Amino acid sequence: MWAYAIRRIIATIPVMGIVALFVFSLLYLAPGDPAAIIAGDQATPADVERIRASLGLDRPFLVRFLEWLWNVLNGDLGVSIFTNLPVAHMIKQRIEPTLSLMVLTLTFAISFAVPMGVVAAWKQGKWVDRLVMVVAVLGFSVPVFVVGYVLAYTFALQLDWFPVQGYTPITAGLGPWINNLALPAVALGSAFIALLARITRATMLEVLSQDYVRTAKAKGVDQKTILFVHGLKNAAVPIVTIIGLGFAGLIGGAVVTESVFAIPGVGRLVVDAILRRDYPVIQGVVLMFSFVYVIVNLGVDLLYTVFDPRIRY
Amino acid sequence: MKRRELISGVAAGLAMPAIARAQGARVLKFVPQANLSSMDAVAGTQYVVRNAALMVWDTLYGVNAKLEPQPQMCEGHEASPDLKTWTFKLRPGLKFHDGGAVTTRDVIASLERWMVRDTMGQMIKGRLDALEAIDDRIFRFRLNKPFAKMLFALGKNNAPVALIMPERIAKTDPFKLISEYVGSGPMKFNTSEWVPGSKAVFEKFADYSVRPEAGEWLAGGKRMYFDRVEWLIPSDAATAGAALQNGEVDWWETPLPDLVPLLKRNRNINLDISDPLGNIGSLRFNHLQPPFNDVRARRAVLMALSQADYMQAVVGDNPDLWKESASYFTPGTAAYTDAGGEILKGKRDIDGAKKLLAEAGLLGAKVTLVVAMDVAITKAEGEVTADLLKKIGFDVDFVATDWGTVGARRAKKDPPSQGGWNIFHTWHAGADCVNPAPYTALDAGGDKAWFGWPKSDGVQKAIADWYDAPDAAAEKAAMAAINRLSFENVTYAPTGFFLMYQAWRSNVTGVVKAPFPVFWGVQKS
Amino acid sequence: MSTTTMGITAAPDLGEVLPPRKQRGKIGMFIYRHPTIFVGGLLLFIILCIGVFAPLLFTTDPTALAPARRTRAPNAQYWFGTDMLGRDVYSRVLYGTRISLIVGFSVAVVASVVGMFIGLTSGFIRQVDAIVMRVMDGLQSIPGILLAIALMALTRASVENVIVAIAVTQVPPVSRLVRSVVLSLREQPYVEAAVAAGTRMPVIIIKHILPNTLAPVSVQATFICASAMLTEATLSFIGAGTPPIIPSWGNIMAEGRALWQVKPYIVFFPAAFLSVTVLAVNLLGDGLRDALDPRLAKRI
Repeated sequence: MWAYAIRRIIATIPVMGIVALFVFSLLYLAPGDPAAIIAGDQATPADVERIRASLGLDRPFLVRFLEWLWNVLNGDLGVSIFTNLPVAHMIKQRIEPTLSLMVLTLTFAISFAVPMGVVAAWKQGKWVDRLVMVVAVLGFSVPVFVVGYVLAYTFALQLDWFPVQGYTPITAGLGPWINNLALPAVALGSAFIALLARITRATMLEVLSQDYVRTAKAKGVDQKTILFVHGLKNAAVPIVTIIGLGFAGLIGGAVVTESVFAIPGVGRLVVDAILRRDYPVIQGVVLMFSFVYVIVNLGVDLLYTVFDPRIRY
Repeated sequence: MKRRELISGVAAGLAMPAIARAQGARVLKFVPQANLSSMDAVAGTQYVVRNAALMVWDTLYGVNAKLEPQPQMCEGHEASPDLKTWTFKLRPGLKFHDGGAVTTRDVIASLERWMVRDTMGQMIKGRLDALEAIDDRIFRFRLNKPFAKMLFALGKNNAPVALIMPERIAKTDPFKLISEYVGSGPMKFNTSEWVPGSKAVFEKFADYSVRPEAGEWLAGGKRMYFDRVEWLIPSDAATAGAALQNGEVDWWETPLPDLVPLLKRNRNINLDISDPLGNIGSLRFNHLQPPFNDVRARRAVLMALSQADYMQAVVGDNPDLWKESASYFTPGTAAYTDAGGEILKGKRDIDGAKKLLAEAGLLGAKVTLVVAMDVAITKAEGEVTADLLKKIGFDVDFVATDWGTVGARRAKKDPPSQGGWNIFHTWHAGADCVNPAPYTALDAGGDKAWFGWPKSDGVQKAIADWYDAPDAAAEKAAMAAINRLSFENVTYAPTGFFLMYQAWRSNVTGVVKAPFPVFWGVQKS
Repeated sequence: MSTTTMGITAAPDLGEVLPPRKQRGKIGMFIYRHPTIFVGGLLLFIILCIGVFAPLLFTTDPTALAPARRTRAPNAQYWFGTDMLGRDVYSRVLYGTRISLIVGFSVAVVASVVGMFIGLTSGFIRQVDAIVMRVMDGLQSIPGILLAIALMALTRASVENVIVAIAVTQVPPVSRLVRSVVLSLREQPYVEAAVAAGTRMPVIIIKHILPNTLAPVSVQATFICASAMLTEATLSFIGAGTPPIIPSWGNIMAEGRALWQVKPYIVFFPAAFLSVTVLAVNLLGDGLRDALDPRLAKRI
């Protein structure tokens, strides 16, 4: 098991290397000359050339890539063209709301979707099952921001149960924190719930058709025990897999959700950066999220070995 | 207690401590017109930057609601009868936020930086023999030609504002942005809490020396009743509107006109025209780059331009909020003139415009239109212009970006293909357009003029005539000439006159009508 | 089951089709067996017609401004109302159908073709495999929307660039899928036999491998199509997609979002069209998967 874990961790290194190479190329290929931007509009071409040399922009691609990589490994993601602030600092300022949103969404989605899928499998073919499937397909098909606006309109403006926008740090208390993030988490969770409920239902059905479950049934073991002990335990692996894979969608959705609910997170940062073509910021955020995504999937793979020691790479 | 609060209270076990509630009255949450992306109101002229800077930095003089300059950091002044020597004395005990005393060294460095960027400042610089310190509190301008509008220049509210900064900051190149935000104004800027694109925080400056008079615009005592003023930048107007309705913010500088009827129905919200002097919409041409380096191209746009289209797109269906105005000056003010504005009146002439462009050989010419999509006014103006340009036969390159980027890009004189531009949109506060003195955008001095760099010796001469005018009649004649010549050369295209609302929660008092948000004197219960 | 359904979708003999009664029975049977294919396909066909025949469906110029008649609620003249610049929302939504369908289909085709090429290559050529699959791993490690955003930031906003940017995010899963099919088929006796008999590689690929990848790839392509439509709308909504002057559903919604509280119809109509279209494609995909690949259907 340890050998597998170490091999798996080592395997992420080339992946991260390719991600870094891609993200670096983004800035390398970006239109606009960083030297000209730094020099300002009063600068002469000679000034620009001097700045270019002093920044080392005239050196070959590979040299610059390695230097950039070294900086990134030391926590230096460059400086925003627009605000002149270090990108790492900007991301740090905004990471808490984004992490909070994701954690809450995941918690919420798992606690709804898994029971939904289990019940649907249990009552396969009955109206509950169909309802769950319809909700699941709808969740796939309606864009996150539409769900967000409908929720905000109903529960914030009409019913006045939740705030419309903003973010309350967790240091201000768990209640206000959850209260402020509830609507965004539900909106963001909708597509994830759909995915997760379907997978749970499908795996449960497969497990329930296995011989040992039939045997248990025949022995008169009670339905609930079968579902939750035998079924869910064996369905855990695919469910965890999907949580890992679905994390990419979650990140993409967070970008939009933060805009809809004016949450000052990393997603808002990248959306603002697009309009300004603030490449270092876009680059930093893409790198950061990709890193998180790779780590999450690494975690998921390692979890397999816990759930099912037979799995080998 | 609202249900929402109830839910959060229950979830938290114990609701927020009472202290937190009491503190709410000491914090003002304000939604500005746009994102605050920089803090230099001398090198930059964006209104949003100016509005923030007016809290942090103080001015020597300050205009009141009648645009009369009153002493602010100065105790008083002495002008020689020929108006060539101006001597000023600072009030005692003025301090910067870092604790340093305000001295004439700081004042002179600040004014020197400002004089490079401001049109009135350049006028002073043009006739300046010396700007000298007599001692730590007294300084003097010695001019070789009289300058009657000295106090107005030092106290005007439109950017570049003559803000007083510590000498070390004022030494910054006037064409580069300052990077340290220390002033002597009533509020300190909290750099560590600044999240561009989301939030800016101002904290009360305990050592601010408040003048004894009542505060009015930039004049008199700037009394702050808040420990913190938080500027919250929402992702869009809808979010801002919803937040105001729910009491999550206290004051919204520029509510979207379409949301005004909805906000009016809410008993907890007050609405008022923010400034009766209103605003003049502006379609700004780049006079250096083709096709608009040709006056015929600029005139063709004017011939086809319908102010009604622009104004309805900007302020919506309420006809009380806008009017057509074939003038560069503010309607309803004493010196208003629409001399020479016929080209904007009557039936719009698309075919005539096309013909003119064909004559100039410009049909199908490419126009790079830079549009700030995050500001409702410029977005609406931009979309109407795109439609207009297509109708008269231009090839439109619509560059969708944000207001901060427009602010940076409009300073570039390069061709559009190298990061320059052909057209951007903005608006000018009516208060800045009552006459040529505070009116940066009217200047036609070529390279030294405001972005777009219009050049017309006629306009420049008429402006000089206005400065030298001995009486009101001569001033009026000069203004008529400025208007006529500005239309001839098409300095920019005025897209109409409009009023904007501001909206605030009814527990906030002391909000006044002004061309910028006045935070002193505002209270919250 | 797989073979019978293939029989139905493949062109049957004329003689079989001609007798009307029998035909109705077959169609009825098909609907009964695969209700999702029928419903999804029908919906998609209607939407396709709306897109193709948009100019004939009582629309006006979708980009014509008229601020004098702005923000009209839906009425007899403007069926879906007008937006804040007085443009007819009905016409904009109908023309927007074209953008969504073009983006959806193009991304599905581009991603499938490129993905198949890469998958086949790396499935057969060991040396290529190691490198290509690492690159795919890397690409797949960047969350899709962010990858598309980054690519869009590099280029000018245009429909073609949106298609390319979204397609890039969808290539890795397709190539992975094709590669796995290739790897499993390579071990099959009949392929091994063909190799042993000295059949040339391209012939093996075209005769034995390609046909077997078509079913899973076409199922995948449907889902890619649905997800590409959502991604396009999302990109446009946050200002990184189709240029704002082109009426795509995402752009119409982005325009209307400032007014969603007072004029909800501006967002509602494009949102409804988008949701129904994506739903239709998803249903079709579900049905196709059940029909073409029961093994896969059971798994997911």
